[in-house]
Amino acid sequence: MHLEKIDDYRWLIPRTYKAGMRTDTLVFANEKLLEAIRRDQSLEQAANIAMLPGIVGRALAMPDIHQGYGFPIGGVAAVDEQHGVVSPGGVGFDINCGVRLLGSSLTRQDVKPKLRDLVHQLFRDVPSGTGGSGHLHISDGDLNHVLEKGPRWAIEHDMGSEADLDHTEERGCIAGADPSAVSARAKQRGKPQLGTLGSGNHFLEVEYVDEIFDEQTAAQYRLAKDRIVLLIHTGSRGLGHQVCTDYVAQLDEAMRRYDLHVPDRQLACAPIHSPEGQRYLKAMAASANFAWTNRQCIAHAARGAFKRIFGEDTHMPVIYDVAHNIAKLETHTVGDQKKRVLVHRKGATRAFPGQPVFIPGSMGTASYFLLGQEGSMRETFGSACHGAGRVLSRSAAKKGATAKEIQKELESRGIMVQSLTREGLAEEKPEAYKDIEAVVDVVHNAGLAARVARLRPLGVIKG
Amino acid sequence: MAPDFELLEHTSDIGVLARGATRGEALVAASQGLVSILADPAGFSPVEERYFKAAGRDEAAQVVNWLNEILFFFDTEGMVFVEFAIDSWTENDISGHARGERLDIDRHEFRTAVKAATYHQFESHETPDGWEIRVFVDV
Repeated sequence: MHLEKIDDYRWLIPRTYKAGMRTDTLVFANEKLLEAIRRDQSLEQAANIAMLPGIVGRALAMPDIHQGYGFPIGGVAAVDEQHGVVSPGGVGFDINCGVRLLGSSLTRQDVKPKLRDLVHQLFRDVPSGTGGSGHLHISDGDLNHVLEKGPRWAIEHDMGSEADLDHTEERGCIAGADPSAVSARAKQRGKPQLGTLGSGNHFLEVEYVDEIFDEQTAAQYRLAKDRIVLLIHTGSRGLGHQVCTDYVAQLDEAMRRYDLHVPDRQLACAPIHSPEGQRYLKAMAASANFAWTNRQCIAHAARGAFKRIFGEDTHMPVIYDVAHNIAKLETHTVGDQKKRVLVHRKGATRAFPGQPVFIPGSMGTASYFLLGQEGSMRETFGSACHGAGRVLSRSAAKKGATAKEIQKELESRGIMVQSLTREGLAEEKPEAYKDIEAVVDVVHNAGLAARVARLRPLGVIKG
Repeated sequence: MAPDFELLEHTSDIGVLARGATRGEALVAASQGLVSILADPAGFSPVEERYFKAAGRDEAAQVVNWLNEILFFFDTEGMVFVEFAIDSWTENDISGHARGERLDIDRHEFRTAVKAATYHQFESHETPDGWEIRVFVDV
């Protein structure tokens, strides 16, 4: 594929690239990242999202883009609220997969001597929930409250405080969530999993502040060099997966009624204002609320683990919690007009000016805390990238070093890892991902989000 | 030909290429392929049985829904199936049953959770040796 170079960080797939594209696709990357991006089908998929009916502005590909199914991971598309479509594939199976960062009053020196105990405690207290249930046993009524209200339910059950909501995107609750739009199967799948981490690329990471780039902002969030933070990465678990599965099937049927055509069936969609589209949005909102509650319950369990090791006065405030698989109705300037649009962010984080943005790196490398910038509003509907982005398939990642060797190598660098599975470790090894420094460099220099601090891991808990 | 499968490379996900003498056998092989992503099937016995019904407007939807049934039973009951049988495959749906055992994390080798089977690059077609199904799953 020939890309038109705009500058060192921007490339264009013109709408003339293939029939059906309604707009250009703008790719954020540098030359080196582009080399990795070109190795799979992600650019073709980025061109495909420009075919979504009702798309406005440009289709967007973030520097961590990699091949997904239908939508690439790291893809953003905004569609006109009146005339556009909603596509569950543009959100993904793990609805409101996202990250929450907790601050702390601890330093690296406090944690180092007790790191092993801390990692074991976190591993015990935050269940993976795989093939079974977690530690919370909730009723059907509770589940409906979670779907409707989000983490407020957890706070009403003594699992957090009002301040946690103040630092959560949408205060953890998208309006319009309707539990009746979530199937009984999805509820059955998700109910035992509230407060569980899951497996795959989901994790808890105990990190320390390694370097500060923006002193003023860091101070505002009480971040200083060597300060300990906890990163939580998980989503809506089986509930969200089933909601996406249910609605891809329903919208696949509905597309024929609305005479809609997409290049990949996994991009199945329906007009936003159709009964099918509205119902999906209500179910998606409920799933998003479930995911925020999940991260709230996990944060509560993790705070308990920290208190057990470091004492009752250990304070761990939420720094921020942000979704990176979601579709949201927002107002943006398109051309010279303000417009209501539905922004699909699949493997992309909201990055409104002044909002914290977290870009976790691969296991064992660095993660970044950034602050959204004005450029995101001009170019990306207020979005930035969500991670380093895979370069190796899971099976390719498993070739080479064994899980034990990876664990040993990480331990030699002072990073303690505890994982439910050996395979999970090998699949997520650092080499499986793009260079986080390069990804962050593009986001920073393109003016989407600015570096505030670099975080390095001390302990990793994987489901 | 005996049902068999191979796992395919995909940057973020995993594909299953399944073969069998018939379409039903290929689906059994795809089911076994999916299970092998979840856990090491070697440690599981066929002690509990569950019935499956997967409807859909076409073959792709039926196969994707069938595979999603496997994931549903895993998430809700921890069931890992090692034997599959297709009882009927009509224009509208597939009926069948599967036998397996609940995951015991201390005794079995869990590998990775799978979110869903997808339509992405789905293929199902006759080959000179029988039938082939390709499906990608989101992990």
